[in-house]
Formats: sequence, structure tokens, C-alpha cells
Amino acid sequence: MRRNSSGVARVTTVFFLFLFSSPLRSSPPDEAGPTTDLGRSIYAARCAPCHGSTGQGNGPNAGLLNPRPRNFTSGVYKFRSTESGSLPTDDDLMSTVKNGLHGTSMSDWGAFIHGDSLKAVVAYIKTFSPKFQNDRPRPIRVTTPVPMTAASIEAGKKVYAKLQCADCHGTDGAGKGVVAGDFKDDWNYDIDAADLTQPWMFRGGSTPRDIYIRFKAGVDGTPMPSYVGTATDKEMWDLANYVVSLARKPAWKMNAGELKDFYAKLDLQAKANPIQRGRYLVRTIGCGGCHSMYDDSLGIIEGTQFSGGLTFELYPFGNYTSRNLTSDKETGLGNWTDQEIKRAFTQGIARDGRKFLPFPMPWASFASLKEEDQDAIVAYLRTLPAIHHKIPDPEKPNIFSYLWGKFRMLVLKEQFPASAHSMKPVDDGGKPVSVLSGSQARPIALRSVDAKEVQR
Amino acid sequence: MKKILKRVAIAVAALAVVGFLAFLYLIPPFDLLPREAFINPHAAAVAGSLQSIADPAERALAERGQYIMSYSDCSDCHTPQGDQGPNWDEFLAGGAKFQTRYTGTVYSRNLTPDKETGLARASDEEVKRVLRSGVFHDGRIMAPTTMPWPAFSNMTEEDRDALVVYLRHIRPVEHKVGEWSPQTPNALYYFYAYDYAEHPAKK
Repeated sequence: MRRNSSGVARVTTVFFLFLFSSPLRSSPPDEAGPTTDLGRSIYAARCAPCHGSTGQGNGPNAGLLNPRPRNFTSGVYKFRSTESGSLPTDDDLMSTVKNGLHGTSMSDWGAFIHGDSLKAVVAYIKTFSPKFQNDRPRPIRVTTPVPMTAASIEAGKKVYAKLQCADCHGTDGAGKGVVAGDFKDDWNYDIDAADLTQPWMFRGGSTPRDIYIRFKAGVDGTPMPSYVGTATDKEMWDLANYVVSLARKPAWKMNAGELKDFYAKLDLQAKANPIQRGRYLVRTIGCGGCHSMYDDSLGIIEGTQFSGGLTFELYPFGNYTSRNLTSDKETGLGNWTDQEIKRAFTQGIARDGRKFLPFPMPWASFASLKEEDQDAIVAYLRTLPAIHHKIPDPEKPNIFSYLWGKFRMLVLKEQFPASAHSMKPVDDGGKPVSVLSGSQARPIALRSVDAKEVQR
Repeated sequence: MKKILKRVAIAVAALAVVGFLAFLYLIPPFDLLPREAFINPHAAAVAGSLQSIADPAERALAERGQYIMSYSDCSDCHTPQGDQGPNWDEFLAGGAKFQTRYTGTVYSRNLTPDKETGLARASDEEVKRVLRSGVFHDGRIMAPTTMPWPAFSNMTEEDRDALVVYLRHIRPVEHKVGEWSPQTPNALYYFYAYDYAEHPAKK
């Protein structure tokens, strides 16, 4: 009998189901009026999955997103047409909802939310922060644009040097300045300096006017300041023109030769900075989704990402807990060699020679990663700050219940839903405790593992 | 003579029971298979089709997309299962059933560029929006229970585009896929699919 690896490995998405194992958090305070009702219901359907039903930017989807969804309760908004530290105008908020924020997972909702609905949802979002009741937005004054000419671009280049933009954004504008790399926003999440050569990634738009407004308004909550007082309006217009001129051709417009060079350059960059490449791969693959702990409100607990602790109950094979990937020597990967880590995630063999199940860890797919990408992932995992978090060994059933389970599965063709639950960080005895255990258990039926598929 | 026969019969029966138990213990998953059996051969299965792309730039993009597809594990959910494992003839044609208590029954979508049942019905931007924000063409947010889009949202726009170019060049397969059916009225998936026009919020 040949086992179908794919069939079972599908449970790799199993962990997400965990997110759905508890009811939603309590709603924000009630506000009277039909507009609020409309706004609230749109918010619940479209916004709460990421921004959270209490507006704190911690919805079930938030944990893996970079940058993180906006926390509406702080009243701090990055993309405004108002003075630094001021609230955004309604038009700013509506424009963000309508057009989305490029380079983030904020979608362009214009096709689905418009007219009264758009106004209602913006009004509802504003109820999350008391600032909107006590304060008013102070819009900036947009002066007459300086036309895009060679002289203006040349002048902008000088402003770029004068304002030391290159420190963060790099001399070529590609976001790799000398101090770039360790930025955190006010909420202590990692952020990167914008790559000015990719205008399709500019959150707040890529016209000279959009960029000029960004200089004048700043990006609140990040190291990007407002340049009011530091630079004149003309200088900011020149700078905006210069930034527009930095744009490179996107890959989808390149010809074959340019693409070849482009990918070769990317490979070179990856080789020069494997940690950066590894971070990208780890984020796009979503390692943190399983190798983290979750709180009761179904968000990843801050500071536990990559430290493991999500237990998969896979009857009749036992309970398997995701491992600690951080560089902790005792409980993490600190003492593993590079080869051992690579063998684990590409061949499913642990350091002690124990074999992984082919699910939920999809190591078979990671086998298709190129050697240098595997190295990059290892390099990034080495940089994860050590978190001491002991993960229990897999709990395997005794031989009788294992055989009985196999019999039910393969002969009686019964189906056993898998399930997952998170653990508390560490209790007093040092033994992790299930958040969803005992009477509070809300075991979730994950995808039913079809007995027939397992049999194949 | 009879006695011997009886003993033999008992021995055979005992052996059969032990053999059956040993068989149960050892059959997959996962102890009898070589490690290579779990390595997904999907990349090889379709590698040929990209060579026929006339435009070399498009081919380069598609090759990049193919690489992204293989390490991102797309085909584990999106290739239908046959009797002998994944049915590579229907590569990425969808139809895998996911049954969960809180999301009801969902089926993986047909990602091949088939006109009637596949991704040809969606524009590039619509496909990218799913990969970027988990938002379907009808505005519904996809539950990450069924596709880990929050992870894919970390891709650069250029990689996401390459992935879509790749999907446009795989062999179209006509394969109708079932629609989502909520099995319980309070499925949390409902939260995502909530239609505010039809279901005014409760006060």
C-alpha cells in the first residue's frame, strides 16, 4: 500500500483552524444610530479579521502580517494629509479603505465598500479612539507643485543628501541605508525603510504630490519624521520629483535579458545577506504560524513567535507539539548544527534521528528549496532571540490503542478529525499547560483525515 | 494426524493474527516507506510545459513562479487525490475537501487556467488580491484555515506576479470544484462571509 503523502500533508493548514476555535471577542462599546450599525457590520465582516473586533490590530490574521494591521485605539495613523501628530481627515481614511495600502495586506476595498457604506465604516473606525472626539485633524497646506524637470530632480538629489535620507533609504534609494535594518515602529514591530526604487510599493501613493505630502506629514509611529521646518516647500517638491526619478522597472515589464540580470542580482543580494533572504522565506512560508503560541483571543502571543508550542492531536498517532525554533541552547535549535537543521526541515529527520510524520510539518515541500535558500533560512533562524521554552516530546499512544486506532481507520474506515491547541508559556512546574484543556477544551474538528487517503 | 493438522491450523491462525497486527502497526503512515516517497515530484511533473512558452521574459517569470509554488506547498492542497496518490494529470486542479467544524466544508480551488472551471475566470489582479489580502472576487475574506494567505501576503509584489504568470501557463484542466457549504449556522467562517446588506447587525 502506498501512502499518499499529499493527502495527509494537507493538514499543514490545520493550525489555522485553531484560530477558529473560540467565539469572537466582545464588541466595542455600543453607539446608537443606524450608521453605527452599518459601520459595525461592515467592520465585522471586512476589517475585524485583521484589525480585531476591538480595533487593537490583533485580529486572528494579524500575527503573520508584515507590517502589522493598524491599531485603531491608539489614534495614530501613518498615512495622513495632516500635520505630524494630528489625526487623519475622513478623506484620508476613506482613501486608505478604498485604495488599500500598497506593499501591505490592506486590500483595495473600493469595489466592495463605497458610498454610505464607506462613510459608515470610517465613522465606526473612528469610534475606537477617543482622540477623534477631543481633537480635530489639522490638514497641511499643499503648495503649488514644482514641475518635474531635470533641474528640479537635480535639486532634489541635493536635498536627499542634505536631509540624510540615504542613512535609512540608501544612496540608491533601495532601502538599504547604513542604519536601516533594525527599525521598530511605536508598537515595537519590525519595519523596513521604504525601497524608493519600487513606487508600486509606496503605501500612500506614488505621484509627486503623494510623496510631497509624505514629507510634510511624516509617517507617525515610525522613524520617518515630518520635514516641516527642516526643509522648504520647494525643497520637498524637488525631493518628491527626485524620488519619482529613482523608480526602477518592475519585473513584469522587463525583457528576458533584464530579467536574467535582475534575478542574478537578487541571487547575489541573497548571498551577500542570507539573513534578509532567510527572513523573507520564513515569513512567506509562514513558519511562525505553527511554531508559536496562541492566546484565548486567537492571536499569536507576543514574544512567543518561533518558540513552538502548538499541539496537534493526531489520532491514532499521538500528540505532536511544534518545536522551539529559536536559538535557545537547551530547548531550541542553539546546539543544532546547520546540517541538522536543514535535514530536519527538508528530510523530516530530527537531530536524534527520530523521523517526523509527513504532516503537519510539510518538510517534503521544503525539499525543493535551493541549497542557498536552505542556508539562508538557517542563517535567519540563528538570529531569532533565544526563548527558553521546553517542548514536550511527542505523546505516543500505547501499542494497543495505536493498533486499535489503525484498525478503526483502515479496516472500519472511520474518520478522525485532527485538532490543535496552544499551550500556556510555562507554568510553575515548568510543564506547559494546554490553554484549551479540560472543561474549557474546545477541540476543533480540523479537516477530517479521510481513512481511504491514509490507506493509500 | 488430525492432531497435527489441528496444531498446524492453530499455528497458522496465530501467525495470521500476529502478521495482521504487525501489518497494522507498520503500514503507512509511515514506517515502511522510504523517505524519498514523501518528496513531492510535482515540479518534475510539469517542468516540460514551461519550455513551450514563446516569450523568453514570460518564461523567466514563470520559472521563478514555479520555484515559489514548489516551496510554498501549493500542490499539497490543490492537486486532487487519485487512487495512487496525487493525480498529477490534474495538477493544481483543486477539489480537495476540507471539513471542519467551524468553517463547514470547503474545497480547494482549481488553479489551472481553464476557462469554465479554473482561474481563467479571474483577472490577474483578483488572483493577486487573494494572495495578498485573502479577499475573494466577491469581497469575502478567505479564512486562513483553508489557505495560509497571511504568510503569502509577505511576498514581494514581483514574486507574487511571477507566481500568477506561472499559474497562467500550466495545463488547463476542466475540473468543477464544489462550493463552500456552511454546515453550522454559527460557523466562524460566517464571520468572514457576513453579508451586511442581508444581515443587519444586531443591536
